[in-house]
Amino acid sequence: MSTIVEVRNFSVWYGSHPALSDITLDVLEHEILGIIGPAGSGKTTFLRSLNRLNDLLPDFRVQGTIQFRGVEINRRDVDLAVLRRKLGMVFAVPVPLPGSIFENLMLGPRLNKTKADAGSLVEKTLKAAYLWDEVKDRLHQSAFALSGGQQQRLCLARTLMMEPDVLLLDEPCSGLDPISTAKIEEALVRLKRELTVILVTNNVMQASRVADRTAFFLQGRLIEYGATEQIFVNPREKQTHEYVSGRFG
Amino acid sequence: MRRWIKFVGLAFTSLTGLACLIIVAMVAIILGDIAIHAWPRLSWEFIHGQPRAGMTEGGIFPAIFGTAALVLLMTLAVVPLGVAAAIYLHEYARQGSKLVHLVRLALHNLAGVPAIVFGLFGLGFFIEFVGAGIDRAFYGGALAFGQPCILWAALTLAVLTLPTVVVATEEALRAVPISYREVAYAAGATRWQVVQHVVLPQSVGGILTGTILAVSRGAGEVAPIMFTGAAYYLPYLPKKLNDQFMELGYHIYVLTTQSPDVEATKPILYATVFVLLVLTFALNFVAIILRSRIRRRLRAA
Repeated sequence: MSTIVEVRNFSVWYGSHPALSDITLDVLEHEILGIIGPAGSGKTTFLRSLNRLNDLLPDFRVQGTIQFRGVEINRRDVDLAVLRRKLGMVFAVPVPLPGSIFENLMLGPRLNKTKADAGSLVEKTLKAAYLWDEVKDRLHQSAFALSGGQQQRLCLARTLMMEPDVLLLDEPCSGLDPISTAKIEEALVRLKRELTVILVTNNVMQASRVADRTAFFLQGRLIEYGATEQIFVNPREKQTHEYVSGRFG
Repeated sequence: MRRWIKFVGLAFTSLTGLACLIIVAMVAIILGDIAIHAWPRLSWEFIHGQPRAGMTEGGIFPAIFGTAALVLLMTLAVVPLGVAAAIYLHEYARQGSKLVHLVRLALHNLAGVPAIVFGLFGLGFFIEFVGAGIDRAFYGGALAFGQPCILWAALTLAVLTLPTVVVATEEALRAVPISYREVAYAAGATRWQVVQHVVLPQSVGGILTGTILAVSRGAGEVAPIMFTGAAYYLPYLPKKLNDQFMELGYHIYVLTTQSPDVEATKPILYATVFVLLVLTFALNFVAIILRSRIRRRLRAA
């Protein structure tokens, strides 16, 4: 499998506070990369560095390189709109926008002025997010009427509407019931045939269930990463072992 | 000793309570007095009729019309300017930068300038400078815009109410959750697209509130328009931007101080004040309802 995202010696500071130190990591095409680690370990910062969403923060500084398909993403002349559509993001808390389910799905196409050809994608993405059967008769009702789990699957579908190459998920199941969580996990496993998934999760078991490879972050450092089975069964580092066996975190 | 402490406590309770009572009583007296005296004079004829017999008889329709036209023009000027300024301050400018400080300082000072100073500013800037300049450039020096008229009065009021609109709009922009913006950015939106597709649609209620507050403030001000366009008496309604106009607040001022027969105009004066109060109270009431709705949504988000 070929590398789609290549991270080399990547560090992040918020003001003078280092949030990520010297991360070097490859993301392979069509894999699910799980990122685990306790709160404050830099998982989310890492994820938001990949679509440059951290740019919105005022005293944010980076060093090192991140290449997406061989192109450095931190260069000034990178078109952020294009980058962020290629690396679509789903947030920890479901954030449906005010408006109908359909209008939510049309967010990306509307911003991208591809509304005309987007209609045919609606059914496909809703099916991919395991939501179609639940909403097909009420696409024009408010997205707020959906349950939390349905809202998060809608957010997944909304991101898929942009046909991204990489899906960035930031603890997407943190507030969800087990059934919704299972549906999202099932969706991700199917989706990796078409795209690459980077899944940040607080839930170690979730990584062991769906991730092909897993990376363990601690205090802004990448402690180790490798095949999920190896990380869980036979980790090289003591800290990894302690974390995945539930001794801290 | 114990009885003394009890006495002091009771005294303070009474005094603070009395202070509140005085406030309520004053409002009640003002409203009651006006309502009682205005009531016999109020009629449909009063609302839609022309002033007659040296303003001792007839109605106040020209003043109502003039007030409406004035605040409409003012709104057309102040809302785009105020909303644009608020969007720049809240969405574009780097927070904490010198420029933002400077603009906020200017806004606070603008809000503290006495209304009569705005009147003089309008006279000096809009009429003597801009208006006279237009006349020289386009009318060959003939008098068209270099005189008091509804356009300059409306623009003067717009400057006066600008801080209200900016502050209310900024509050509305702040109420849009950051998560909404992040979703839009993550979907590839540019800054302007975030404002256009997410922030502005969510802020319409707050902008409307600010507009209504500005209108109710503008409708009640006399000082800024007395040099810039309001007329003592006009037999016709304003039809062009450079016509003068009658206005409720100014009409009240005229009835009170310039009338040849004070006793005869008194009932009309009361009724005019009543109409102006009802108008501004109604506007404020709508603004309060809108605002509380927005606050509730803000808490829910």
